[in-house]
Amino acid sequence: MIRKIIIVENKLGLHARPCALLVKTASKYRSDLLIKKDNIEVNGKSIMGVMMLAAEYKSELELIANGVDEEYMIDEITELFKAKFSEE
Amino acid sequence: MKILSVRDFFEYKNREFALSLITEPKTLDNNIQESQIHRPGLALAGFLERFSYKRIQIIGETEINFMQTISEDTLYDRIKEMFEFNIPLIIVTKGLSIPQQVEYLANEMNIAIMTSRLSTDKLLNDLTRYLREYFAPQKSIHGTLVEVFGLGMLLTGKSGIGKSECALDLVERGHRLIADDIVQIIQTDDTLVGSAVNDFGYFMEVRGIGLIDVERMFGIEAVRKTTIIDTQVELLLWQDNLDYERIGLTNNFVDILGINLPIIYLPVSPGKNVSVIIEVIALNHILKNYGYDAAEAYQRKLQEKIQRKARPLKFKEPEEKKL
Repeated sequence: MIRKIIIVENKLGLHARPCALLVKTASKYRSDLLIKKDNIEVNGKSIMGVMMLAAEYKSELELIANGVDEEYMIDEITELFKAKFSEE
Repeated sequence: MKILSVRDFFEYKNREFALSLITEPKTLDNNIQESQIHRPGLALAGFLERFSYKRIQIIGETEINFMQTISEDTLYDRIKEMFEFNIPLIIVTKGLSIPQQVEYLANEMNIAIMTSRLSTDKLLNDLTRYLREYFAPQKSIHGTLVEVFGLGMLLTGKSGIGKSECALDLVERGHRLIADDIVQIIQTDDTLVGSAVNDFGYFMEVRGIGLIDVERMFGIEAVRKTTIIDTQVELLLWQDNLDYERIGLTNNFVDILGINLPIIYLPVSPGKNVSVIIEVIALNHILKNYGYDAAEAYQRKLQEKIQRKARPLKFKEPEEKKL
């Protein structure tokens, strides 16, 4: 299991498009992904869940990956956040 | 431990509890940490040994009247002594005004005082309910909550197993959706109450379509804000070698926030009508609540029959009388 704290870098926060991108990326892997923010924990493969976090610019998320390909999953998702979901 | 900041409480709840702030805004920088409410009658009388100062203090007409009966100097000393404790918030009911020294001391010693137009009784009731709910143990669960024949059913299972589709099917059959994908569960008085996490409405993701608005599509009768959760149904992908419940004599439970919730492990396979089975689970649960358990009833009949067969016949056929 990998836990990683990540910060939302794109100004608009996690709105619909970045969420869809995140969920699609997570769904490629076999590992489970949980995303935690302010005591709410959601499934990283569910679009409604991730959108429900309403994560704003500079907010902190905790990614919890668990499974055979967890490292690759976390790496690719970290890249997405770093690249600001290719928005800016 | 959850805390409630006095500032947030005032900002979000001043309408509900008809509050207005008497002291300066800087006094709002404090936190409420306990869900109980206290009436500081004894503290005003000078007994401070067991003063529950961490709670919200409610001052009603009686306390105000009492303050008027004691001399100004004594009042000043007593209030000062009381305010040495870090009281988060004092609420005066019925919109009554407080003696000037109390207000002065509160500002000096950073203690927030508000007045409420509500009566003491109503404020005590409403505030207790609100605080109890706010401080109640809660958690969010990945699942879908529907109300079937008045029973709250929490559908869980892996992503993509068909929870949302099942809920949609149930809604079409006249049942109600409470929350899809994430269910916020609060434990109050030995029950679990489920609702949606946010107030966006009743949106749902259907794979291949995207987002839909269930309330707009099926009308207000298809949705509900909260419901008590009666049972959990865990949808599992059908596996041939897995052992499924066949009779129903054993009841399984799952622990959620310290409460035992009945759980049913339901194997699903493509083409199987899950919503009918969910309805059946609900109806069976209602029957059990009314004291009828189908599995037990059948078992009883079966046992009676077996015992009857095992017993030798008591009565011989009467011999025919010879004429």
